[in-house]
Amino acid sequence: METLKIEETKYTPSIELNQSTGTISIIGKSYPENTFEFYEPVMKWIEEYFDGNAIEETTINLEIIYFNSSSSKLFFDFFDLLEENNNDHKITINWIYDEENESALEAGEDFQEDFEDLTINLLSK
Amino acid sequence: MQRRNKSTRRQEDDTKVSENKLIGEVEELKESFDVTIDKLIKDIKRQDKIMARSDKRQRQEYDELQRRLEEVQELQEAQKKLMDSFIKLIASAIDAKSKYTGGHCSRVPELSRMIAKAASDSEQDAFSDFKIETKDQLRELDIASWLHDCGKVTTPEYVVDKATKLETIYNRIHEIRTRFEVIHRDLTIEALNKKLAGEDPKKIDKWLKEEHQKLNEEFKFIAKANIGGEFMKKEDKTKVFDIASKTWMRHFDDTLGLAHEERDRVLNEKEQILPCEEKLLSDKIRHIIPREYFDYKEYEEKGFKIKVPEHLYNLGEVYNLCIERGTLTTEERFKIQEHVIMSIKMLEQLPFPEYLKNVPLYAGAHHETLIGTGYPRELTKDDMPVAARIMAIADVFEALTAADRPYKEAKKLSDSIKILSFMVKDQHLDEDIFKLFLTSGIYKEYAQNYLLESQIDEVDIEQYL
Repeated sequence: METLKIEETKYTPSIELNQSTGTISIIGKSYPENTFEFYEPVMKWIEEYFDGNAIEETTINLEIIYFNSSSSKLFFDFFDLLEENNNDHKITINWIYDEENESALEAGEDFQEDFEDLTINLLSK
Repeated sequence: MQRRNKSTRRQEDDTKVSENKLIGEVEELKESFDVTIDKLIKDIKRQDKIMARSDKRQRQEYDELQRRLEEVQELQEAQKKLMDSFIKLIASAIDAKSKYTGGHCSRVPELSRMIAKAASDSEQDAFSDFKIETKDQLRELDIASWLHDCGKVTTPEYVVDKATKLETIYNRIHEIRTRFEVIHRDLTIEALNKKLAGEDPKKIDKWLKEEHQKLNEEFKFIAKANIGGEFMKKEDKTKVFDIASKTWMRHFDDTLGLAHEERDRVLNEKEQILPCEEKLLSDKIRHIIPREYFDYKEYEEKGFKIKVPEHLYNLGEVYNLCIERGTLTTEERFKIQEHVIMSIKMLEQLPFPEYLKNVPLYAGAHHETLIGTGYPRELTKDDMPVAARIMAIADVFEALTAADRPYKEAKKLSDSIKILSFMVKDQHLDEDIFKLFLTSGIYKEYAQNYLLESQIDEVDIEQYL
Protein backbone atom coordinates (compact mmCIF):
# COMPACT_ATOMS: atom_id res chain seq x y z
CA MET A 1 0.00 0.00 0.00
CA GLU A 2 1.23 3.41 -0.86
CA THR A 3 1.78 5.97 1.87
CA LEU A 4 -0.85 8.70 1.82
CA LYS A 5 0.46 12.14 2.63
CA ILE A 6 -1.54 15.36 2.71
CA GLU A 7 0.26 18.64 3.41
CA GLU A 8 -1.05 21.00 6.04
CA THR A 9 -2.94 24.10 4.89
CA LYS A 10 -4.41 27.05 6.74
CA TYR A 11 -7.66 25.13 7.30
CA THR A 12 -6.67 21.48 7.10
CA PRO A 13 -4.28 19.27 9.06
CA SER A 14 -1.23 17.42 7.83
CA ILE A 15 -2.03 13.77 7.38
CA GLU A 16 0.23 10.79 6.96
CA LEU A 17 -0.93 7.21 6.58
CA ASN A 18 1.92 4.70 6.47
CA GLN A 19 1.20 1.03 5.99
CA SER A 20 4.73 -0.24 6.56
CA THR A 21 4.99 1.35 10.01
CA GLY A 22 1.31 0.99 10.77
CA THR A 23 0.96 4.62 11.75
CA ILE A 24 -1.80 7.04 11.04
CA SER A 25 -1.17 10.70 11.98
CA ILE A 26 -3.46 13.68 11.75
CA ILE A 27 -1.90 16.88 13.05
CA GLY A 28 -3.26 20.42 12.95
CA LYS A 29 -6.55 22.23 12.57
CA SER A 30 -9.55 20.75 10.82
CA TYR A 31 -11.79 23.28 9.13
CA PRO A 32 -12.16 21.85 5.62
CA GLU A 33 -14.68 23.45 3.31
CA ASN A 34 -16.17 20.03 2.55
CA THR A 35 -15.13 17.76 5.39
CA PHE A 36 -16.36 14.42 4.05
CA GLU A 37 -14.84 15.03 0.65
CA PHE A 38 -11.56 16.03 2.27
CA TYR A 39 -11.36 12.93 4.48
CA GLU A 40 -12.74 10.52 1.87
CA PRO A 41 -9.31 9.28 0.69
CA VAL A 42 -8.27 8.89 4.32
CA MET A 43 -11.27 6.73 5.22
CA LYS A 44 -10.85 4.69 2.03
CA TRP A 45 -7.19 4.12 2.78
CA ILE A 46 -7.99 2.93 6.33
CA GLU A 47 -10.72 0.55 5.10
CA GLU A 48 -8.29 -0.91 2.63
CA TYR A 49 -5.60 -1.07 5.30
CA PHE A 50 -7.73 -3.15 7.67
CA ASP A 51 -8.88 -5.28 4.76
CA GLY A 52 -5.87 -7.55 4.94
CA ASN A 53 -3.07 -4.99 4.85
CA ALA A 54 -2.76 -4.16 8.52
CA ILE A 55 0.45 -4.96 10.33
CA GLU A 56 0.54 -6.34 13.84
CA GLU A 57 0.26 -3.09 15.73
CA THR A 58 -1.40 0.04 14.48
CA THR A 59 -0.71 3.40 16.11
CA ILE A 60 -2.89 6.38 15.53
CA ASN A 61 -1.58 9.83 16.50
CA LEU A 62 -4.17 12.56 16.61
CA GLU A 63 -3.06 16.05 17.43
CA ILE A 64 -6.01 18.16 16.50
CA ILE A 65 -5.84 21.66 17.86
CA TYR A 66 -9.17 22.99 16.65
CA PHE A 67 -11.90 21.38 14.57
CA ASN A 68 -15.33 22.23 13.23
CA SER A 69 -18.60 20.35 13.85
CA SER A 70 -18.50 18.31 10.67
CA SER A 71 -14.95 17.22 11.51
CA SER A 72 -16.29 16.11 14.87
CA LYS A 73 -18.90 14.00 13.08
CA LEU A 74 -16.21 12.58 10.86
CA PHE A 75 -14.08 11.63 13.84
CA PHE A 76 -17.04 9.61 15.19
CA ASP A 77 -17.19 7.74 11.88
CA PHE A 78 -13.44 7.34 12.06
CA PHE A 79 -13.61 5.88 15.57
CA ASP A 80 -16.54 3.64 14.48
CA LEU A 81 -14.32 2.25 11.78
CA LEU A 82 -11.53 1.63 14.28
CA GLU A 83 -13.94 0.00 16.71
CA GLU A 84 -15.15 -2.35 13.98
CA ASN A 85 -11.59 -3.53 13.52
CA ASN A 86 -10.60 -3.44 17.16
CA ASN A 87 -11.25 -7.11 17.80
CA ASP A 88 -9.05 -8.40 15.03
CA HIS A 89 -6.24 -5.86 15.33
CA LYS A 90 -4.14 -4.25 18.00
CA ILE A 91 -4.91 -0.55 17.74
CA THR A 92 -3.49 2.21 19.95
CA ILE A 93 -4.81 5.75 19.67
CA ASN A 94 -2.79 8.68 21.06
CA TRP A 95 -4.83 11.84 21.51
CA ILE A 96 -2.15 14.50 21.83
CA TYR A 97 -3.09 17.92 23.20
CA ASP A 98 -1.39 21.12 24.26
CA GLU A 99 -1.57 21.59 28.00
CA GLU A 100 -2.89 25.11 27.50
CA ASN A 101 -5.63 23.98 25.13
CA GLU A 102 -8.34 22.82 27.48
CA SER A 103 -10.96 22.17 24.83
CA ALA A 104 -8.63 19.79 22.99
CA LEU A 105 -8.19 17.77 26.19
CA GLU A 106 -11.95 17.71 26.78
CA ALA A 107 -12.62 16.50 23.25
CA GLY A 108 -10.18 13.65 23.84
CA GLU A 109 -11.94 12.75 27.08
CA ASP A 110 -15.29 12.74 25.30
CA PHE A 111 -14.05 10.31 22.66
CA GLN A 112 -12.61 8.13 25.41
CA GLU A 113 -16.06 8.00 27.00
CA ASP A 114 -17.87 7.30 23.74
CA PHE A 115 -15.56 4.53 22.56
CA GLU A 116 -14.83 2.53 25.68
CA ASP A 117 -13.53 -0.46 23.76
CA LEU A 118 -10.81 1.56 22.05
CA THR A 119 -7.46 2.26 23.68
CA ILE A 120 -7.28 6.03 23.66
CA ASN A 121 -4.31 7.58 25.49
CA LEU A 122 -4.44 11.27 26.34
CA LEU A 123 -0.94 12.68 26.01
CA SER A 124 -0.09 16.20 26.91
CA LYS A 125 2.64 17.83 24.85
CA MET B 1 -65.56 -36.47 -1.31
CA GLN B 2 -62.24 -37.78 -0.06
CA ARG B 3 -60.51 -36.47 -3.12
CA ARG B 4 -62.07 -33.12 -2.64
CA ASN B 5 -60.98 -33.16 0.96
CA LYS B 6 -57.46 -34.06 -0.01
CA SER B 7 -57.12 -31.26 -2.44
CA THR B 8 -58.64 -28.78 -0.05
CA ARG B 9 -56.16 -29.80 2.64
CA ARG B 10 -53.31 -29.36 0.26
CA GLN B 11 -54.57 -25.98 -0.58
CA GLU B 12 -54.82 -25.15 3.10
CA ASP B 13 -51.26 -26.40 3.63
CA ASP B 14 -50.04 -24.27 0.80
CA THR B 15 -51.64 -21.22 2.30
CA LYS B 16 -50.04 -22.00 5.66
CA VAL B 17 -46.63 -22.31 4.05
CA SER B 18 -46.98 -19.08 2.13
CA GLU B 19 -48.36 -17.38 5.21
CA ASN B 20 -45.29 -18.47 7.18
CA LYS B 21 -42.97 -17.29 4.44
CA LEU B 22 -44.58 -13.86 4.41
CA ILE B 23 -44.33 -13.68 8.17
CA GLY B 24 -40.71 -14.62 7.84
CA GLU B 25 -40.15 -11.88 5.33
CA VAL B 26 -42.05 -9.37 7.42
CA GLU B 27 -40.12 -10.44 10.47
CA GLU B 28 -36.92 -10.12 8.54
CA LEU B 29 -37.99 -6.70 7.35
CA LYS B 30 -38.96 -5.76 10.88
CA GLU B 31 -35.60 -6.84 12.14
CA SER B 32 -33.68 -4.87 9.57
CA PHE B 33 -36.09 -1.98 10.10
CA ASP B 34 -35.33 -2.12 13.81
CA VAL B 35 -31.63 -2.14 13.08
CA THR B 36 -32.07 0.86 10.80
CA ILE B 37 -34.23 2.63 13.35
CA ASP B 38 -31.69 1.87 16.04
CA LYS B 39 -28.98 3.20 13.79
CA LEU B 40 -31.06 6.28 13.08
CA ILE B 41 -31.74 6.86 16.74
CA LYS B 42 -28.08 6.35 17.51
CA ASP B 43 -27.18 8.72 14.73
CA ILE B 44 -29.64 11.38 15.86
CA LYS B 45 -28.36 11.07 19.41
CA ARG B 46 -24.84 11.32 18.08
CA GLN B 47 -25.73 14.38 16.04
CA ASP B 48 -27.18 16.01 19.15
CA LYS B 49 -24.05 15.13 21.06
CA ILE B 50 -21.85 16.53 18.33
CA MET B 51 -23.87 19.73 18.23
CA ALA B 52 -23.80 20.11 22.01
CA ARG B 53 -20.09 19.44 22.17
CA SER B 54 -19.35 21.70 19.25
CA ASP B 55 -21.33 24.48 20.87
CA LYS B 56 -19.39 24.00 24.08
CA ARG B 57 -16.09 23.88 22.24
CA GLN B 58 -16.89 26.91 20.18
CA ARG B 59 -17.77 28.84 23.30
CA GLN B 60 -14.50 27.83 24.89
CA GLU B 61 -12.63 28.78 21.77
CA TYR B 62 -14.44 32.08 21.67
CA ASP B 63 -13.51 32.71 25.30
CA GLU B 64 -9.93 31.80 24.47
CA LEU B 65 -9.92 34.16 21.51
CA GLN B 66 -11.31 36.95 23.66
CA ARG B 67 -8.68 36.28 26.29
CA ARG B 68 -5.91 36.33 23.68
CA LEU B 69 -7.30 39.49 22.16
CA GLU B 70 -7.30 41.17 25.55
CA GLU B 71 -3.77 39.97 26.08
CA VAL B 72 -2.69 41.39 22.73
CA GLN B 73 -4.43 44.67 23.47
CA GLU B 74 -2.75 44.87 26.85
CA LEU B 75 0.61 44.17 25.26
CA GLN B 76 -0.05 46.75 22.59
CA GLU B 77 -0.93 49.30 25.23
CA ALA B 78 2.21 48.43 27.18
CA GLN B 79 4.31 48.77 24.04
CA LYS B 80 2.75 52.12 23.25
CA LYS B 81 3.57 53.27 26.76
CA LEU B 82 7.12 52.01 26.43
CA MET B 83 7.49 53.77 23.09
CA ASP B 84 6.11 57.00 24.54
CA SER B 85 8.55 56.75 27.42
CA PHE B 86 11.42 56.25 24.99
CA ILE B 87 10.31 59.28 23.04
CA LYS B 88 10.11 61.35 26.18
CA LEU B 89 13.45 60.00 27.30
CA ILE B 90 15.06 61.23 24.08
CA ALA B 91 13.30 64.58 24.35
CA SER B 92 14.38 65.07 27.96
CA ALA B 93 17.93 64.00 27.09
CA ILE B 94 18.04 66.81 24.54
CA ASP B 95 16.55 69.25 27.01
CA ALA B 96 19.02 68.12 29.67
CA LYS B 97 21.98 68.28 27.31
CA SER B 98 21.92 72.02 27.04
CA LYS B 99 20.91 74.49 29.66
CA TYR B 100 20.20 76.78 26.73
CA THR B 101 17.12 74.90 25.61
CA GLY B 102 15.58 74.06 28.99
CA GLY B 103 12.19 72.36 28.74
CA HIS B 104 11.77 73.16 25.06
CA CYS B 105 11.18 69.63 23.80
CA SER B 106 8.47 68.97 26.34
CA ARG B 107 6.66 72.31 25.98
CA VAL B 108 6.47 72.39 22.19
CA PRO B 109 4.24 69.26 22.13
CA GLU B 110 1.80 70.89 24.58
CA LEU B 111 1.56 74.03 22.51
CA SER B 112 1.34 72.17 19.18
CA ARG B 113 -1.45 70.01 20.53
CA MET B 114 -3.45 73.02 21.73
CA ILE B 115 -3.15 74.80 18.39
CA ALA B 116 -3.87 71.62 16.39
CA LYS B 117 -7.08 70.98 18.34
CA ALA B 118 -8.24 74.55 17.76
CA ALA B 119 -7.41 74.28 14.04
CA SER B 120 -9.30 71.02 13.79
CA ASP B 121 -12.37 72.57 15.46
CA SER B 122 -12.13 75.72 13.37
CA GLU B 123 -14.73 76.40 10.69
CA GLN B 124 -12.33 78.58 8.68
CA ASP B 125 -11.56 77.65 5.09
CA ALA B 126 -7.85 77.65 5.87
CA PHE B 127 -8.34 74.60 8.08
CA SER B 128 -11.09 72.85 6.12
CA ASP B 129 -8.75 69.99 5.24
CA PHE B 130 -7.22 69.76 8.68
CA LYS B 131 -9.28 67.52 10.91
CA ILE B 132 -8.07 65.55 13.86
CA GLU B 133 -10.63 62.80 14.13
CA THR B 134 -8.70 59.91 15.61
CA LYS B 135 -6.36 59.37 18.50
CA ASP B 136 -3.79 58.15 16.01
CA GLN B 137 -3.70 61.51 14.21
CA LEU B 138 -3.10 63.28 17.48
CA ARG B 139 -0.42 60.76 18.32
CA GLU B 140 1.35 61.42 15.02
CA LEU B 141 1.49 65.13 15.81
CA ASP B 142 2.53 64.45 19.41
CA ILE B 143 5.40 62.19 18.42
CA ALA B 144 6.56 64.60 15.73
CA SER B 145 6.65 67.48 18.19
CA TRP B 146 8.28 65.45 20.94
CA LEU B 147 11.02 64.47 18.51
CA HIS B 148 11.32 67.63 16.41
CA ASP B 149 14.76 68.41 17.85
CA CYS B 150 15.99 64.83 18.27
CA GLY B 151 18.84 65.53 15.83
CA LYS B 152 20.30 67.84 18.47
CA VAL B 153 21.74 64.84 20.27
CA THR B 154 24.37 64.90 17.54
CA THR B 155 25.20 68.59 17.82
CA PRO B 156 28.40 69.17 19.83
CA GLU B 157 27.76 71.05 23.02
CA TYR B 158 30.47 73.56 22.28
CA VAL B 159 28.49 74.62 19.20
CA VAL B 160 25.01 74.60 20.79
CA ASP B 161 26.24 76.53 23.79
CA LYS B 162 28.97 78.61 22.11
CA ALA B 163 28.76 81.75 24.20
CA THR B 164 31.82 83.63 22.94
CA LYS B 165 33.56 83.77 19.60
CA LEU B 166 36.78 82.18 20.79
CA GLU B 167 35.05 79.35 22.61
CA THR B 168 35.91 75.85 21.54
CA ILE B 169 35.64 73.52 24.49
CA TYR B 170 36.84 76.38 26.62
CA ASN B 171 36.98 80.11 26.07
CA ARG B 172 40.34 80.76 24.41
CA ILE B 173 40.37 84.38 25.53
CA HIS B 174 42.42 83.17 28.52
CA GLU B 175 45.13 81.78 26.28
CA ILE B 176 45.19 84.95 24.26
CA ARG B 177 45.30 87.11 27.37
CA THR B 178 48.43 85.20 28.40
CA ARG B 179 50.03 86.24 25.13
CA PHE B 180 49.19 89.82 25.95
CA GLU B 181 50.88 89.25 29.31
CA VAL B 182 53.96 87.95 27.48
CA ILE B 183 54.11 90.98 25.22
CA HIS B 184 53.56 93.21 28.22
CA ARG B 185 56.61 91.69 29.93
CA ASP B 186 58.62 91.76 26.68
CA LEU B 187 58.00 95.47 26.52
CA THR B 188 59.20 95.90 30.11
CA ILE B 189 62.32 93.90 29.34
CA GLU B 190 62.89 95.91 26.19
CA ALA B 191 62.67 99.11 28.25
CA LEU B 192 65.15 97.83 30.83
CA ASN B 193 67.53 96.77 28.07
CA LYS B 194 67.31 100.19 26.54
CA LYS B 195 68.09 101.78 29.90
CA LEU B 196 71.08 99.45 30.30
CA ALA B 197 72.25 100.54 26.90
CA GLY B 198 72.35 104.08 28.25
CA GLU B 199 69.18 105.59 26.78
CA ASP B 200 67.35 108.34 28.62
CA PRO B 201 65.39 106.60 31.45
CA LYS B 202 62.67 109.25 31.55
CA LYS B 203 62.01 108.92 27.86
CA ILE B 204 61.96 105.14 28.15
CA ASP B 205 59.52 105.19 31.08
CA LYS B 206 57.19 107.41 29.10
CA TRP B 207 57.43 105.12 26.05
CA LEU B 208 56.80 102.01 28.16
CA LYS B 209 53.81 103.56 29.86
CA GLU B 210 52.30 104.46 26.51
CA GLU B 211 52.97 101.01 25.05
CA HIS B 212 51.47 99.26 28.05
CA GLN B 213 48.39 101.42 27.92
CA LYS B 214 47.97 100.79 24.21
CA LEU B 215 48.36 97.06 24.74
CA ASN B 216 45.81 97.14 27.53
CA GLU B 217 43.25 98.84 25.33
CA GLU B 218 43.93 96.43 22.53
CA PHE B 219 43.24 93.53 24.83
CA LYS B 220 40.02 95.15 25.98
CA PHE B 221 38.98 95.57 22.36
CA ILE B 222 39.69 91.92 21.57
CA ALA B 223 37.92 90.79 24.74
CA LYS B 224 34.87 92.85 23.80
CA ALA B 225 34.88 91.52 20.25
CA ASN B 226 34.90 88.02 21.74
CA ILE B 227 31.52 88.60 23.40
CA GLY B 228 29.77 88.91 20.04
CA GLY B 229 27.13 91.28 21.37
CA GLU B 230 27.48 93.85 18.62
CA PHE B 231 27.77 93.80 14.86
CA MET B 232 31.42 93.76 13.68
CA LYS B 233 31.94 96.70 11.38
CA LYS B 234 34.59 96.73 8.69
CA GLU B 235 36.84 99.02 10.74
CA ASP B 236 36.51 96.71 13.73
CA LYS B 237 37.77 93.84 11.61
CA THR B 238 40.68 95.95 10.36
CA LYS B 239 41.54 96.70 13.97
CA VAL B 240 41.51 92.97 14.79
CA PHE B 241 43.91 92.37 11.88
CA ASP B 242 46.22 95.15 13.16
CA ILE B 243 46.32 93.81 16.69
CA ALA B 244 46.75 90.26 15.40
CA SER B 245 49.92 91.20 13.57
CA LYS B 246 51.76 92.03 16.83
CA THR B 247 54.43 89.45 17.55
CA TRP B 248 56.01 87.57 20.43
CA MET B 249 58.83 85.03 20.59
CA ARG B 250 58.00 81.42 21.22
CA HIS B 251 60.75 79.29 22.84
CA PHE B 252 58.83 76.09 23.30
CA ASP B 253 57.89 73.33 20.89
CA ASP B 254 54.17 73.56 20.19
CA THR B 255 53.95 70.08 18.71
CA LEU B 256 54.39 68.45 22.11
CA GLY B 257 51.60 67.16 24.31
CA LEU B 258 49.09 66.84 21.49
CA ALA B 259 46.70 64.05 20.62
CA HIS B 260 47.38 62.55 17.21
CA GLU B 261 44.63 64.38 15.37
CA GLU B 262 45.79 67.78 16.46
CA ARG B 263 49.44 66.83 16.00
CA ASP B 264 48.70 65.77 12.40
CA ARG B 265 47.18 69.15 11.72
CA VAL B 266 50.11 70.98 13.34
CA LEU B 267 52.62 68.92 11.38
CA ASN B 268 50.99 70.10 8.16
CA GLU B 269 52.27 73.57 8.95
CA LYS B 270 55.68 74.87 7.98
CA GLU B 271 58.42 73.62 10.31
CA GLN B 272 59.74 76.28 12.63
CA ILE B 273 63.13 76.67 14.25
CA LEU B 274 62.97 77.79 17.87
CA PRO B 275 62.86 80.40 19.08
CA CYS B 276 60.42 81.68 16.51
CA GLU B 277 58.27 84.68 16.03
CA GLU B 278 54.56 84.21 16.59
CA LYS B 279 51.67 86.48 15.71
CA LEU B 280 49.57 87.62 18.63
CA LEU B 281 46.45 86.24 16.91
CA SER B 282 46.44 83.96 13.91
CA ASP B 283 44.54 81.68 11.56
CA LYS B 284 46.65 78.57 11.16
CA ILE B 285 46.33 75.31 9.28
CA ARG B 286 45.85 73.58 12.62
CA HIS B 287 42.67 75.57 13.12
CA ILE B 288 40.99 73.97 10.15
CA ILE B 289 39.10 70.79 11.03
CA PRO B 290 38.47 69.04 7.73
CA ARG B 291 35.03 67.75 6.74
CA GLU B 292 35.30 64.02 6.35
CA TYR B 293 32.81 61.34 5.34
CA PHE B 294 30.11 63.64 4.07
CA ASP B 295 27.64 61.99 1.71
CA TYR B 296 26.89 64.83 -0.73
CA LYS B 297 24.89 62.53 -2.99
CA GLU B 298 22.52 61.48 -0.23
CA TYR B 299 22.31 65.10 0.89
CA GLU B 300 21.11 66.15 -2.53
CA GLU B 301 18.80 63.18 -2.98
CA LYS B 302 17.02 63.94 0.26
CA GLY B 303 16.43 67.49 -0.92
CA PHE B 304 18.58 69.27 1.66
CA LYS B 305 19.58 72.67 0.40
CA ILE B 306 21.64 74.37 3.10
CA LYS B 307 25.05 75.25 1.63
CA VAL B 308 27.59 72.86 3.10
CA PRO B 309 30.77 74.72 4.22
CA GLU B 310 34.02 73.27 2.91
CA HIS B 311 35.45 72.63 6.35
CA LEU B 312 33.81 71.01 9.33
CA TYR B 313 35.13 73.75 11.62
CA ASN B 314 37.49 76.68 11.38
CA LEU B 315 38.87 77.58 14.79
CA GLY B 316 41.08 80.39 13.45
CA GLU B 317 41.43 83.11 16.07
CA VAL B 318 41.13 86.05 13.71
CA TYR B 319 38.45 84.24 11.72
CA ASN B 320 36.33 83.73 14.84
CA LEU B 321 36.88 87.22 16.25
CA CYS B 322 35.69 88.68 12.94
CA ILE B 323 32.30 86.89 13.10
CA GLU B 324 29.93 89.70 12.19
CA ARG B 325 26.91 88.77 14.27
CA GLY B 326 26.63 86.48 17.26
CA THR B 327 29.28 83.97 18.12
CA LEU B 328 28.94 81.31 15.42
CA THR B 329 31.07 80.84 12.33
CA THR B 330 29.48 79.71 9.05
CA GLU B 331 30.69 76.21 9.84
CA GLU B 332 29.15 76.23 13.30
CA ARG B 333 25.91 77.73 12.05
CA PHE B 334 25.68 74.87 9.57
CA LYS B 335 26.37 72.42 12.38
CA ILE B 336 23.46 73.90 14.33
CA GLN B 337 21.12 73.85 11.34
CA GLU B 338 22.22 70.34 10.60
CA HIS B 339 20.23 69.21 13.67
CA VAL B 340 17.05 69.29 11.58
CA ILE B 341 18.75 67.19 8.93
CA MET B 342 19.82 64.77 11.62
CA SER B 343 16.27 64.73 13.02
CA ILE B 344 14.89 63.89 9.60
CA LYS B 345 17.50 61.23 8.91
CA MET B 346 17.05 59.63 12.33
CA LEU B 347 13.27 59.64 12.11
CA GLU B 348 13.22 58.37 8.54
CA GLN B 349 15.17 55.36 9.74
CA LEU B 350 12.44 54.37 12.18
CA PRO B 351 9.88 51.85 10.92
CA PHE B 352 6.84 53.99 11.74
CA PRO B 353 3.49 52.30 11.09
CA GLU B 354 1.27 53.79 8.38
CA TYR B 355 -0.60 56.09 10.76
CA LEU B 356 2.66 57.69 11.93
CA LYS B 357 4.28 57.99 8.54
CA ASN B 358 4.24 61.80 8.55
CA VAL B 359 6.32 62.11 11.72
CA PRO B 360 9.61 62.82 9.84
CA LEU B 361 7.87 65.37 7.60
CA TYR B 362 6.20 67.24 10.48
CA ALA B 363 9.27 67.13 12.69
CA GLY B 364 11.67 68.13 9.93
CA ALA B 365 9.88 71.25 8.72
CA HIS B 366 9.81 73.42 11.84
CA HIS B 367 12.58 75.69 10.54
CA GLU B 368 11.06 76.13 7.11
CA THR B 369 9.27 79.34 6.09
CA LEU B 370 6.32 79.84 3.76
CA ILE B 371 8.46 81.35 0.99
CA GLY B 372 11.38 78.98 0.62
CA THR B 373 13.81 80.87 2.82
CA GLY B 374 13.91 78.33 5.63
CA TYR B 375 15.91 75.19 6.06
CA PRO B 376 16.84 72.45 5.40
CA ARG B 377 14.70 71.99 2.27
CA GLU B 378 13.63 75.54 1.42
CA LEU B 379 10.01 74.41 1.40
CA THR B 380 7.13 76.75 0.67
CA LYS B 381 3.65 76.94 2.15
CA ASP B 382 2.27 74.42 -0.35
CA ASP B 383 4.90 71.87 0.61
CA MET B 384 4.15 72.21 4.30
CA PRO B 385 1.22 70.40 5.87
CA VAL B 386 -0.80 72.38 8.42
CA ALA B 387 0.65 70.26 11.23
CA ALA B 388 4.19 71.30 10.25
CA ARG B 389 3.19 74.97 10.12
CA ILE B 390 1.61 74.63 13.57
CA MET B 391 4.81 73.14 14.93
CA ALA B 392 6.86 75.97 13.45
CA ILE B 393 4.84 78.56 15.38
CA ALA B 394 4.92 76.47 18.56
CA ASP B 395 8.69 76.12 18.25
CA VAL B 396 9.29 79.87 17.88
CA PHE B 397 6.78 80.92 20.53
CA GLU B 398 8.19 78.50 23.09
CA ALA B 399 11.73 79.70 22.40
CA LEU B 400 10.69 83.34 22.73
CA THR B 401 8.76 82.99 25.96
CA ALA B 402 10.94 80.42 27.71
CA ALA B 403 11.97 81.57 31.16
CA ASP B 404 14.58 78.90 31.70
CA ARG B 405 17.34 80.17 29.39
CA PRO B 406 20.29 81.43 31.44
CA TYR B 407 21.62 83.68 28.69
CA LYS B 408 18.57 85.86 28.28
CA GLU B 409 15.86 87.40 30.32
CA ALA B 410 12.38 86.02 29.81
CA LYS B 411 10.46 88.08 27.27
CA LYS B 412 7.10 89.59 28.03
CA LEU B 413 4.10 87.89 26.45
CA SER B 414 3.22 90.99 24.42
CA ASP B 415 6.80 91.31 23.09
CA SER B 416 6.87 87.67 22.08
CA ILE B 417 3.62 88.05 20.19
CA LYS B 418 4.93 91.18 18.52
CA ILE B 419 7.95 89.24 17.28
CA LEU B 420 5.66 86.47 16.02
CA SER B 421 3.68 89.10 14.12
CA PHE B 422 6.86 90.34 12.44
CA MET B 423 7.69 86.80 11.41
CA VAL B 424 4.16 86.42 10.04
CA LYS B 425 4.60 89.65 8.08
CA ASP B 426 7.86 88.30 6.63
CA GLN B 427 5.95 85.13 5.73
CA HIS B 428 8.13 83.02 7.93
CA LEU B 429 5.13 81.86 9.93
CA ASP B 430 1.55 81.09 8.86
CA GLU B 431 -0.86 84.00 9.24
CA ASP B 432 -4.02 81.91 9.66
CA ILE B 433 -2.45 79.83 12.41
CA PHE B 434 -1.10 82.96 14.09
CA LYS B 435 -4.57 84.55 14.10
CA LEU B 436 -6.13 81.34 15.37
CA PHE B 437 -3.47 81.26 18.08
CA LEU B 438 -4.64 84.71 19.19
CA THR B 439 -8.42 84.46 18.72
CA SER B 440 -8.66 81.05 20.37
CA GLY B 441 -6.96 82.46 23.46
CA ILE B 442 -4.35 79.72 23.36
CA TYR B 443 -1.56 82.26 23.85
CA LYS B 444 -3.18 83.22 27.15
CA GLU B 445 -3.88 79.69 28.27
CA TYR B 446 -0.33 78.62 27.49
CA ALA B 447 1.08 81.71 29.23
CA GLN B 448 -0.88 80.95 32.39
CA ASN B 449 0.48 77.42 32.46
CA TYR B 450 4.09 77.97 31.47
CA LEU B 451 5.12 81.61 31.80
CA LEU B 452 6.27 83.47 34.89
CA GLU B 453 3.82 85.84 36.54
CA SER B 454 6.16 88.70 35.62
CA GLN B 455 6.08 87.84 31.92
CA ILE B 456 2.32 87.91 31.51
CA ASP B 457 1.02 91.30 30.44
CA GLU B 458 -1.98 92.56 28.51
CA VAL B 459 -1.87 91.87 24.80
CA ASP B 460 -3.97 93.91 22.41
CA ILE B 461 -4.63 91.21 19.85
CA GLU B 462 -6.92 93.42 17.75
CA GLN B 463 -3.91 95.10 16.13
CA TYR B 464 -2.80 91.78 14.68
CA LEU B 465 -6.15 90.58 13.33
